[in-house]
Amino acid sequence: MRKFLSIVRHEFKKIVLKWSFLISTLLFPVLAAILAMIPLIIFSLRGEPTQIAVADPTGNILPRLRSNLSAERLMEKARQAAGEQFKDFSGSQERAMQNDAAMFMESIVLVPYDTTGKTVDQSRTDLLAKIKADEVDAYLIVPQSLDQQFEFRSRKGGDFVTNDTFTDALNAAVRSQRLAEANISEERLTELSAKVKIDAKGIDETGAERDTTGTLIAAFAIGLMIYVTLAIYGQVIMGAVVEEKETRIAEILFSSARPFELMFGKLVGVGLAGLTQLSIWLTSAVVILGVAASQTDLGPILGLAPKITPFMLILFLIFFLLGFFIYASIFALIGSMVTSMQEGSQFAFPPVLIMLAGFYFSFAVVRDPNSTLSVFVSIAPFLAPITMPVRILAEMPPYWQIGLSILVNVATIAGLVWVTARVYRVGMLMYGKRATIPEVWKWVRHA
Amino acid sequence: MPEHRSPEATLQVSNVTKRFGDFTAVEDLSFEVRAGRVFGFLGPNGAGKTTTIRMIVGITAPDAGSIKLFGEGMSYKLQNRIGYLPEERGLYKKMKVVDQLRYFAELKGVERRVADQRIDFWLERMDLAEWKPKKTTDLSKGMQQKIQFISTVLHDPDLLILDEPFSGLDPINVEFLIEVISEFKTQDKTIIFSTHQMESAERLCNDILLINKSRKVIGGSLREVKESYGTNLIAFRGTGAEKVLSDGSLVQKVVSHSDEQELHLANGTLPQDLLRTLIESGAEVTKFEVTEPSLNDIFIERVTNA
Repeated sequence: MRKFLSIVRHEFKKIVLKWSFLISTLLFPVLAAILAMIPLIIFSLRGEPTQIAVADPTGNILPRLRSNLSAERLMEKARQAAGEQFKDFSGSQERAMQNDAAMFMESIVLVPYDTTGKTVDQSRTDLLAKIKADEVDAYLIVPQSLDQQFEFRSRKGGDFVTNDTFTDALNAAVRSQRLAEANISEERLTELSAKVKIDAKGIDETGAERDTTGTLIAAFAIGLMIYVTLAIYGQVIMGAVVEEKETRIAEILFSSARPFELMFGKLVGVGLAGLTQLSIWLTSAVVILGVAASQTDLGPILGLAPKITPFMLILFLIFFLLGFFIYASIFALIGSMVTSMQEGSQFAFPPVLIMLAGFYFSFAVVRDPNSTLSVFVSIAPFLAPITMPVRILAEMPPYWQIGLSILVNVATIAGLVWVTARVYRVGMLMYGKRATIPEVWKWVRHA
Repeated sequence: MPEHRSPEATLQVSNVTKRFGDFTAVEDLSFEVRAGRVFGFLGPNGAGKTTTIRMIVGITAPDAGSIKLFGEGMSYKLQNRIGYLPEERGLYKKMKVVDQLRYFAELKGVERRVADQRIDFWLERMDLAEWKPKKTTDLSKGMQQKIQFISTVLHDPDLLILDEPFSGLDPINVEFLIEVISEFKTQDKTIIFSTHQMESAERLCNDILLINKSRKVIGGSLREVKESYGTNLIAFRGTGAEKVLSDGSLVQKVVSHSDEQELHLANGTLPQDLLRTLIESGAEVTKFEVTEPSLNDIFIERVTNA
């Protein structure tokens, strides 16, 4: 037992104390955090306010424009836009929107330009001169009739956020002026053009409401995460086995401990390393999303995420471990058959293909978690470790199916470990050439 | 300390046979290895040496026959008392020297604290102390060989099995290793030494076993083996002796070396008879020495005539 623990610790440390592990483990969350933060940082940077000279010979547009760009109106608009997607806002989101609105208001300064006694051409020449002299950043020339073209020239052509806000406000100003000319009040128009409200929600068997979008995303995320981790750590196992065979360390190891202890210790050690990385990622994902939710208006999106109970987490863990032991023993078997990592990579293709199939079946499972196909693939050996967590997330299957799935896959692991241990014992001491399948079969039967 | 010490041999191999499919790697092999002696396990490539050693260290089991170590049947527990340096050996490439040594010691059941002390001691002795925190890839081939040797002795084994321990070592390190091995011998440990280099076997071994084509060829103490080959060899240097030496009734065979000749006496001819005949014939004799057959000669003769 002490030797077994030594082996586990050795394999664990060999992976965890490597720079590549440290970097991938830490870099992944840091990168994710940076990617999440960059937009926030960029949008919180305030540029110089854009000075827009407005030449309004009608005298009707400028006041309306000004009122549309006031903080209250911007706020109202943002709330309307958001309200179409989300039902309720938390206090922090409300504050965030207020900040945004204030920011836009401050970023645009309207400078009235007196057009009395000037032709359009004269105004334009004058305004261009002002831009050149850096007195203003942009100008807007309102035509005599609202059906004619408005002329907007800006040095800050790339500032799309300001431009958009400004264009929207201008549109609204022109519209309300037209409405005023047609004797229709703004309020009346809003009433008439209100959108139809559809309350679309999925329900489960019991009729309880649930949202499907978030479930879909989360199910793919968990399927992908398990698939990627299994593929990566399968390769790690194979690398570790091939190294001991290539360097002939196996001979020394086999003269010190039982081959089974060595192989199983390797699986457990590498498995723990994988579990460590996965839990660091998951924890940091939760923390990053939590921080992001409190800082930004992502909150409502996160609210759509399916409720993950501790029981589900335990099941995910179980199925991850089932998957790990299934694929790790396959990769260990391949590693002890081949003579180099390159040769191993060729043989790694079939198990990777099976994993990928499991991932693709997740699509079918998410679409219809209780179809015959979904039930089958979430119990089948090799596939279940990927498809069952997806199915659990999509909709909790009957417990007997989960139990059966675990049973089937535990039996698969027992068989695989038994076969692998036999191949490992012989294969690790065979140097020079790759073992053929008939040879391997002989080892399994006679070892 | 050597509580295992008994009148019995440390290792008893009795009628051991090992087959791989149709191929018989070791056939009906028996021998004994006694404590406090260096046992030379010799044979050409493919003779079955590695297979036999793997059975002794418990990596594989014999198909027939039995192996007794320290008076017991082979078991995983006994592995902790064996130090095995395989011919084909390696280290973890990207691991620190100290970590590898610790791991190998732990696998032999040595406690961390004890292991650390011994690692320091051996690295110091092998003049490798400064390499302790370095990785294998930073070490020269010879240094790696020495690290591998350290990993074989860290658990203070009672039986040391060294398969070609000198390959890749420079003469200075060979001498040094011989010194270390001799120390083990005086501590009443048992050493099995497998090699192709007959000179070093001749120098180190008390007992030898020569196997060829899966079977035992000769065995016993070095003395006995050599004596059984008689004293019919003469190292000769001289001029004008061609006629006498070509007389088949006196000399069976003449092997020319760079500055002397090796004379194989014909059956019934005594060295003094030949010497007298040579002098009477008027030959000028500058060297005439009765020599033992070298292990190399015995090896070549037994293997090629088999």
